[in-house]
Amino acid sequence: MVIDTLKCVGCSDCVVACQTENDVPIGYCRDWIVETVSGTYPNLDLELKSERCNHCDNAPCVRCCPTGASHSLPSGIVLVTADECIGCGACIESCPYDARYQHPDGYVDKCTFCHHRLEKGQLPACVSVCPTKCMYFGDLDNPNSEVSQLLKNRKYKTLAPEAGTNPHVFYLI
Amino acid sequence: MQEELFTSGRNIPKIDPNLEIWHWPISLYLFLGGLAAGILFFAALFYLMGKEKEYPGAVRYTAIIPPIALSMGLLALVYDLTHKLYTWQLYTTFRIESPMSWGAWVLLIVTPLSFLWFFSFYSENYPKTEEKLKLFKKFKFLTTFEQFLKDNRKYIAYALIPLTLVLGVYTGILLSAFNARPLWNNAILGPLFLTSGLSTGAAAIILLSRSTKEKHLFGKIDLALIIVELALIAHMIMGYYAGSQVQLEAMQLLVGGDFTLMFFGFVVILGLIIPAALEFIELIGYKVPVIVAAMLVLLGGLIFRFVMVEAGQLTRFLY
Repeated sequence: MVIDTLKCVGCSDCVVACQTENDVPIGYCRDWIVETVSGTYPNLDLELKSERCNHCDNAPCVRCCPTGASHSLPSGIVLVTADECIGCGACIESCPYDARYQHPDGYVDKCTFCHHRLEKGQLPACVSVCPTKCMYFGDLDNPNSEVSQLLKNRKYKTLAPEAGTNPHVFYLI
Repeated sequence: MQEELFTSGRNIPKIDPNLEIWHWPISLYLFLGGLAAGILFFAALFYLMGKEKEYPGAVRYTAIIPPIALSMGLLALVYDLTHKLYTWQLYTTFRIESPMSWGAWVLLIVTPLSFLWFFSFYSENYPKTEEKLKLFKKFKFLTTFEQFLKDNRKYIAYALIPLTLVLGVYTGILLSAFNARPLWNNAILGPLFLTSGLSTGAAAIILLSRSTKEKHLFGKIDLALIIVELALIAHMIMGYYAGSQVQLEAMQLLVGGDFTLMFFGFVVILGLIIPAALEFIELIGYKVPVIVAAMLVLLGGLIFRFVMVEAGQLTRFLY
């Protein structure tokens, strides 16, 4: 997933779309908006971005899970099988992005990149509703995909790369 | 100069205040697990060295603590799970990369062994209780069972030594495997928790022992373990100083932050330095109550787990 921080206006539409699509309980969410002001007055810079699970290549949550409930698909998407999760919280402790939470039903829940929609050939709910079209989703292994082209032509960053997780949500800057 | 003035972070009412998801049962369990590992390690070691008669406190009297400690610890662990009905999923797989999986399996073996170990000393340790309960008279097979355990005690002891070491180290590795929590993420936590567990085990033996000679020996052992523990803590702090920004920030919780009094006051001074001093004074021939030192070591060990678990969860990469 690629998110253009220069186009994001922080409207939270992605958050609401995710809550609706995935039936996220009230008071919880799988994605969120972060607003950062940096610089020295009067030269200030405002950055808005939508954050979520980074579906890391080297996912610490998958490594720490004692039952194998947290697992990586061959496509790189990290999922949790609710019926295998014991709610120990090891994955929550291991995530540098704090992208996971305990569902009121006990198991651990997080962004799935709307895996059920991808299987039908649709885009993740957050991407499909974004009013500024600042979010892009696609196959990074395919050099001709829109996301690969964006990362080739634009400057980008990832979150907490020093955590060594090799995250798969990229922010254009 | 580029300066970050403000980050909104997140404002998710039901998630953010609850990210510190490991509560007191985890700290309590880490203490009880370490204590049981320490006691069983010394018991098995002294039994195999043929010192059962000489040091009955280490081998026999303390045998009642590990089964209780491990059972309570296991209950505490399950109590802190949020999807409790699925706990059995732990035992459908072994995940070599997950410390918790290691711990779950080791506990599954050590806990029954600790019960067997206790039971093999039952009629020796508690002849009066047996007179009242008359268990052996009521259930004939218990006599054969106890005899079987007595005959095979050596094998239990051989199994316990590596298993208790894994259990002791695992209580630390459980925390240090999380790179997202910089305070925990250092390799010294495993040996540190093992040393602390052995030290609390030695302290428990001092408390239950009835012979001066045994108290004296375990005072010496405990003193050595405390010195190693202090050295490991010094290494841990040095490691944070030499670490990355997130580790420097994490260390500030312990050095000059909210947990300084708890860590240096209660854990280092009250739980390590004062008992070490008392044990040293006793060692050079003065009469001091070693029981006080032993109690302080146990209390310090407990507070140490609480400090590490609570403080570790406040440290993170983002927000």
